[in-house]
Amino acid sequence: MASLSEEVLLVVKKVRQRKQDGTLYLMAERIAWGPEGKDRFTVSHLYADIRCQKISPDGKAKVQLQLVLHTGESTTFHFANESSALKDREAAKELLQQLLPKFKKKANKELEEKNRMLQEDPVLFQLYKDLVVSQVISAEEFWANRLGGVNNTDPTLFNNKQEVGISGAFLADIRPQTDGCNGLRYNLTADIIESIFRTYPAVKQKYSENVPHNLTEKEFWTRFFQSHYFHRDRINTGTQDIFSECAKQDEKGLKSLVVQGVKNPLVDLLSLEDKTLDEGYGVSTTQPSTSNANRTVKESSNYAIIKRFNHHSAMVLAAGSRKGETPADQASETSSTDGNSRDSDFFQPPVKKVKLQEAIEYEDLQRENRPKTVALNLKKSDRYAHGPVPLQSQQYTTSQDIINSVNYIRHEMANYKPNLTQVVSSTAASSAIVALSPGGVLMQAGAQQAINQMVPSEVQGELKHLYVAAGELLRHFWSCFPVNTPFLEEKVIKMKSNLERFQMTKLCPFQDKIQRQYLSTNVSLQVSFSLVCVLSVVKNGVR
Amino acid sequence: MKLNIEGLLVYFPYDYIYPEQYSYMLELKRTLDAKGHGVLEMPSGTGKTISLLSLIIAYQRAFPLEVTKLIYCSRTVPEIEKVIEELRKLMEFYSKETGESNNFLALALSSRKNLCIHPEVSSLRFGKEVDGKCHSLTASYIRAQRHSNPNLPVCRFYEEFDAVGRQVPLPPGVYNLDDLKDFGRRKGWCPYYLARYSILHANIVVYSYHYLLDPKIADLVSKELAKKSVVVFDEAHNIDNVCIDSMSVNITRRTLDRCQNNVDTLQNTIHKIKETDAAKLREEYRRLVEGLKEANVARETDIYLANPVLPDEILQEAVPGTIRTAEHFVGFLRRFLEYLKSRLRVQHVVQESAPQFLKDIFDKVCIDRKPLRFCAERLQSLLRTLEIADIADFSAVTLISNFATLVSTYSQGFTIIIEPFEDRTPTIANPVLHFSCMDPSIAIKPVFQRFQSVIITSGTLSPLDIYPRILDFRPVTMASFTMTLARTCLCPLIVGRGNDQVALSSKFETREDFAVIRNYGNLLLEMSAIVPDGIVAFFTSYVYMENIVASWYEQGILENIQRNKLIFIETQDAAETSMALEKYQEACENGRGAILLSVARGKVSEGIDFVHHFGRAVIMFGVPYVYTQSRILKARLEYLRDQFQIRENDFLTFDAMRHAAQCVGRAIRGKTDYGLMIFADKRYARADKRGKLPRWIQEHINDGSLNLTVDEAVQLAKHFLRQMAQPFRQVRSTPATKGTEQVSTFVVWKGRWRHGYRCLNLAFQSQQLNNFVA
Repeated sequence: MASLSEEVLLVVKKVRQRKQDGTLYLMAERIAWGPEGKDRFTVSHLYADIRCQKISPDGKAKVQLQLVLHTGESTTFHFANESSALKDREAAKELLQQLLPKFKKKANKELEEKNRMLQEDPVLFQLYKDLVVSQVISAEEFWANRLGGVNNTDPTLFNNKQEVGISGAFLADIRPQTDGCNGLRYNLTADIIESIFRTYPAVKQKYSENVPHNLTEKEFWTRFFQSHYFHRDRINTGTQDIFSECAKQDEKGLKSLVVQGVKNPLVDLLSLEDKTLDEGYGVSTTQPSTSNANRTVKESSNYAIIKRFNHHSAMVLAAGSRKGETPADQASETSSTDGNSRDSDFFQPPVKKVKLQEAIEYEDLQRENRPKTVALNLKKSDRYAHGPVPLQSQQYTTSQDIINSVNYIRHEMANYKPNLTQVVSSTAASSAIVALSPGGVLMQAGAQQAINQMVPSEVQGELKHLYVAAGELLRHFWSCFPVNTPFLEEKVIKMKSNLERFQMTKLCPFQDKIQRQYLSTNVSLQVSFSLVCVLSVVKNGVR
Repeated sequence: MKLNIEGLLVYFPYDYIYPEQYSYMLELKRTLDAKGHGVLEMPSGTGKTISLLSLIIAYQRAFPLEVTKLIYCSRTVPEIEKVIEELRKLMEFYSKETGESNNFLALALSSRKNLCIHPEVSSLRFGKEVDGKCHSLTASYIRAQRHSNPNLPVCRFYEEFDAVGRQVPLPPGVYNLDDLKDFGRRKGWCPYYLARYSILHANIVVYSYHYLLDPKIADLVSKELAKKSVVVFDEAHNIDNVCIDSMSVNITRRTLDRCQNNVDTLQNTIHKIKETDAAKLREEYRRLVEGLKEANVARETDIYLANPVLPDEILQEAVPGTIRTAEHFVGFLRRFLEYLKSRLRVQHVVQESAPQFLKDIFDKVCIDRKPLRFCAERLQSLLRTLEIADIADFSAVTLISNFATLVSTYSQGFTIIIEPFEDRTPTIANPVLHFSCMDPSIAIKPVFQRFQSVIITSGTLSPLDIYPRILDFRPVTMASFTMTLARTCLCPLIVGRGNDQVALSSKFETREDFAVIRNYGNLLLEMSAIVPDGIVAFFTSYVYMENIVASWYEQGILENIQRNKLIFIETQDAAETSMALEKYQEACENGRGAILLSVARGKVSEGIDFVHHFGRAVIMFGVPYVYTQSRILKARLEYLRDQFQIRENDFLTFDAMRHAAQCVGRAIRGKTDYGLMIFADKRYARADKRGKLPRWIQEHINDGSLNLTVDEAVQLAKHFLRQMAQPFRQVRSTPATKGTEQVSTFVVWKGRWRHGYRCLNLAFQSQQLNNFVA
């Protein structure tokens, strides 16, 4: 078969794909299928590419397994071994079930992200084509500060993927189905179980205590769904329920949270009122007693529901933010559970101050404070538009010189006497007139013809791309300054060679082409020249 | 910037001003000029507080002899602290602009619980405990005892303050609660007593309503405040209830039992003292014969704020002979107590007026009206004489004596209701005597009489005319300001029908109807899918919310909502609710989004703001009518009808609508904020309900949004949210002409449009100002 050194985990024969018989291989990193009698795989998917697997319902004649890829494509395998089709499928499914989650996390988030960015941004896509596809710079360099934004600033963040929270309704998603004979069936997935564990650590603890020594996994979950713990409105009945302890723990957790109090003084209802009426004063009679003794069964069940909802939401919220925040959390916990009010005084004012300041701020009444920017002050805007002209040695004149020369010119003009015999020849004169009249050679530039009328749009488009690409390269280039690490130095050199390569492979051919075709239209040339000029300046700078 | 408000130079610490702030200041200035009272309504989030402070401080600076003090009353501790922070900002602006440090003293005053720095006392959790403990360390006779027995515990902060604190006044500045504590720690002085002492000479005092309205506290804290003060009641939409609460008394069997113990203790103490120190009691007797002359003189010379519990007449008389000696008084208390006990033994509900009660007590146990009136004063005197350490232990007997004084003083405005059991549990005997005040003007009358200007202001005071009527005063200005908006950032929708055309209403008959509950659930579900971040939903009562939550849970609606947002629910336990609130904010903050189910009239609806993403939508399920079956309410309604010609229904609707407005107003706390306001009850569409909403909400209810189905509301909401989510464009242009008319000629225009709405930037040119001043 295929010359592979991969570890083959499972081989299932007699599996049809596209009505062709073959063999299914589950390897360490991919799943593959080859038609019978051939020693190559026609189907091969990395596990990381697979989004999920689907199976045909039990009752169906065909026993099938479908793999849905991240790209949206899907592949269906039909297990055709008459005697053991179901068993084969189960085996494949089980194995996949174990393997897929492992790869799921590895699934290339970045690639998706890059793909999405390219699809969404046509300019970026063009840039990508111009620079990467034509191998001016490597893809890595291209993405290095594209994906950036957030990640690039801190390389550790780059690896730190965002933790996915838990759906608030994960318990609701476990829809019980009646199995037809007076029972209920709950479908649990690995995700749901993880959600339960993360939200209710007490259940996880029970699980690790009891499974598999005392209970099988199935029994454990059966009990879980039967428990009052799961059905919030039922009143706690027996104590033999292993989850009654969980409920108690939750209660304790809730209590401790309540005792801890809140950090934001603006939402602390306990300290809201300044001076409460003394007992016995006031119109409102004593609240219809909240003590449990007086509550009817219905009332206390309602109360339990409300409490559980608050608890559930708090736990879901906590599960989402548990990671990464723990150190900070602990610190604040120690400070607040201390109980010593002087300590809490010590910690409180900053939060309080900030919150109070926030509350009294009228941002729209204030003069807006934009970050101060330095205005670009162009003395000669045409120089900016046309790029720098090569520096000419200029003699600077003093004001006295200028006054002198003005006087001189005035003097000259006053004494000017046209020497009519030594003017230009008539032919030269007439050609000059032709050149200067509308339609003449020298008048073309002044005819204010817009560039978009003079050059075809594809040339313009190309020019635009080149401009953007050059801009991108320059951005990379300039981002290396100040060059204070060896890495940056290396990058500068590399970028410089990139720029040169860009000039060679892209700009020069374009320039030649333009020169060849549109010799007369010097406008577009100017632009492309100015590009070249910028590049040359940059190169000078590097040296 | 500097403003010219009818010739008054006002420093305003922002570069721009909303037009409504300008008009607010104008009205306020007129009120102060007239030395009268005012009722001003301005939407929350339009900078009411800073406008108030800017104008009144400018007035104080310009006319230091006319207005000597600003007493700013707010409701909650965070509100008080916010006011102080705004004041700090203003003062910083003053010193920046004028270049001189001004000698204003402004401070916040709060209860001992918030100000105590004694390590043991301040660690106590409840205000009452802190007060009691503090009293046991600092009461005058305790300190006197310490002379003979130096081992008694002592509060060094109080001792230090008492020794030196009064000689040097608190240096000028702005002191928040934390600043006071810091200052106290540095100097080793008790911040609470320092603050209480300093309010007498401070220019600005910020504290809670109770310090002025609750006679028990006002008598201690505020009675010496200067007459030429301006009093501001902010967030005053509930002020009538505060007044009523401070004058009402409930007596249960438990109170009477504790009272019995108190009386026994008193008796024993008297016996003991008689053996050891009979002179003390004789001295007291002598004082009582001389009468309460001192207090009377003080009140006549206008030094004291009147105490409604201590009516004028009794000050002119001596304590009647029957209760002048300590033993007689204790015996008198016993008799009174026994009488009350017998009254609580009823089997059916009794309602009677104060004169009826007095007649009955005279017939049964021969207690005259006169000694009853002196009861409270006599008890205070006795407790002082007996050197009782922990006053808190004697709260029961104090309550009874206060009741005795009130019931014998006011023949009108109060009612007595004795209920043998709670309505809901007719089998459990739990007799209560409600002595309830029905006339809020009684408690607030001394304030109106004493202080030169009283300003009642809030975001929701509509309809304005009802407040002067129920508080019985004559305002010189009444004004309601609307909110100028660049974009209609609030979107009130009245949802009257479900998608199946079932009329939505929380009225009693359909309250249990499953169709209504389901449709309410559906509304919340749909909204949870389209509204970003936080949604707050209010129910009319706690019981109603519990029932609805239970049936939503059964119907699986809550599960579906959980797919979109996390759910948090207010409970009757304040600590639990605080936690839920914080988690709610956290969930809004981190982008998950959450729903808070809460109760109108509850703590959340009264004290917590849901700015920006903390409340993008508020849903008011039903009309929050007060529980109308209560006898106390019925008595009050009757009283309102007879005394003030306010019809029951008018008052009930007014009361319901002010709470509804409070609830929905929680979401909009500024012009950059935006939010949906969903009134889910078809009754809101009626003119009598709608008309009682504040003007700034009413304006945005158009005929198209009066009786929507859930689906229609969702469509409108989607549209609104999509529009609001657009970046807020800042538009600039010249000010509209309407603005110019309001402004006097001294104002130089630097007007701009900002955020699209009209903001006038008014500035003096110094030249012109000088001309003007000269």
